[in-house]
Amino acid sequence: MKLNEVLYIGLWDSLPFLRDPTLFVILSGIAFFPVLFLALFTGSAALPALVGAAVMSLAFLGLNVAQSVYYNKHWFRFQDILVASPVSALSYALGLSLSSLIGSTPALVLSFSILIYYVPIAPLNFLAVVAIAALMWLGLVFIGYTIGLSVKNTRKANSLPQILGFLLGFLPPVYYPLSLLPASLRPIAMLVPTTEAAQLAKYYFGLLPTSLSSTEILVSWAYLLGFVALMALITARKAHWVDP
Amino acid sequence: MIEAVEVSSPMKAHGNGTKVLDKVKLNAGKGQLLTPVGEKSRQYDAHPDSHHPADADLRLGACTEDGLQVNVVEVSSLGKTYPGGTEALRDVSFSIERGRIFCLLGRNGAGKTTLLRILATQLQPSTGRATIFGLDISREAEKARTRIAVLPQEARPQMMLSAFDHVRMMCLIRGMPRAEATRRANQILEQFDLWEHRNKVCADLSGGMRQRVLLCMALIADPELLFLDEPTIGLDPLGRRQVWAAVRRLAKAGTTVLLTTHYMDEAEHLADNLAIIEKGKVAFLGTVDEAKDVAGVGMRMIVEPLVNGGQREVLHPSSNEEILKIVERSVREGLKVTFQPPSLEEAFINIVGGSIDDEAQ
Repeated sequence: MKLNEVLYIGLWDSLPFLRDPTLFVILSGIAFFPVLFLALFTGSAALPALVGAAVMSLAFLGLNVAQSVYYNKHWFRFQDILVASPVSALSYALGLSLSSLIGSTPALVLSFSILIYYVPIAPLNFLAVVAIAALMWLGLVFIGYTIGLSVKNTRKANSLPQILGFLLGFLPPVYYPLSLLPASLRPIAMLVPTTEAAQLAKYYFGLLPTSLSSTEILVSWAYLLGFVALMALITARKAHWVDP
Repeated sequence: MIEAVEVSSPMKAHGNGTKVLDKVKLNAGKGQLLTPVGEKSRQYDAHPDSHHPADADLRLGACTEDGLQVNVVEVSSLGKTYPGGTEALRDVSFSIERGRIFCLLGRNGAGKTTLLRILATQLQPSTGRATIFGLDISREAEKARTRIAVLPQEARPQMMLSAFDHVRMMCLIRGMPRAEATRRANQILEQFDLWEHRNKVCADLSGGMRQRVLLCMALIADPELLFLDEPTIGLDPLGRRQVWAAVRRLAKAGTTVLLTTHYMDEAEHLADNLAIIEKGKVAFLGTVDEAKDVAGVGMRMIVEPLVNGGQREVLHPSSNEEILKIVERSVREGLKVTFQPPSLEEAFINIVGGSIDDEAQ
């Protein structure tokens, strides 16, 4: 693997939306739309929702790797061009992942800037939140790869990441408080990795109504790491540089 | 000249019933109509890890005095069965000399793209062995990939990027320094008449121009072996000729080209050698002229009245005497004679079409 290969593949994949500011704003703004509505209707819910946006800003575009993988393999045939070249599989995979980071970094920077302005946070806690966002991004990049490698038609390549984005980002209590759900549904909601990530991030920002115990924190981290590891394993089983 | 790899006896049978190559000899077979399609194929288990004496023979290949390997591509008993069970290739063997243009012809689904993708290290073969530059495509793919480039079938450019973006980015991805990448991109765009369109996004380019952009992307690396999967599909006659000229130039400079095509005139124009693939097997291996000979396609003479309205005769003379007789009769009777040389298309239909009849029987 060469760093240059990774950077240029990332740039190649992100150039189309870097060249189109409208598309860039829409893509990086996806994570912010719920915050906007929550701020409009209930001002007090805006800050916890902004934590959700910070966690999901990388993750949403991480999921979009599915489209990059699918289109570069089946539509542009760019993957085939690169397989028959000195470029390594790892450079290609990292390059496409990097592309999703390029697209979502402005959103992440913006959400963190607003949060830090309104909620003072210790540097170590801030790093913990960045790590949570990075883990979510990584986990959803792996899911994106699995989708991109599995689907065989364009319609599914476009729709599946959107549906999954809704199921993981907007449906569970990532933007809204967990307490809004009926008590019976809360344990189920906590099984969703994005809920776990949002709860943990809200804890580090001091935005949870009740604090988490050290065991709960440890379990949450272990759960997130386990989720990423599992997704990595599934992706590794699916991924083929040379087709079988 | 094509050297067909021929399997010769004796073969050993493994305990599991599969036969293993015991000896392979490179046999100079000109214009061979190979294993009739429909004949039951022999199953060889020439695993890449096998250490048969044949492996060593194939690896050595034929070298010139200056040490250059003559046979850039060596394919031996190659087979491919997809995970779903579809058998795409069976017992394919051939070789390609350095600097030659080798065309793969065949109907849709015959196995051309599968074969090209295996040789371009994009697809794992199921059986048999193939080497490029003496490197095993399964075990030494990484080394081989530094010397090849491919233009895949139905590749498309990014509509929101310019021709220059495509070519320059490919240079950068392949490791060229930025200044060199810019220089090389400009040079190749000029060579393919894309210079004045270099800053237009691909959405604004014609189909032919887009195809040329993709071709430029494949060519920037100066590959020693170039794989082109239907490179002129969708191009206008002028665009096709530009591609042909580029391919010819490359071959003249020593690049070996393996291309698949549906266009017989393309193969006729370009191919030093060709293989006709039918139902995953090599149905013919040789030159264009040999294909015409083997298929029994000879000169056609069309005899018709000078003015419209009379009867038109299509004749297939088998000797010079017969030709002379037809000409004499035509002069005597005031008829017009047109000579029609045999076409590769007719040869292709004869070779491939035979199998349709076989199937019907």
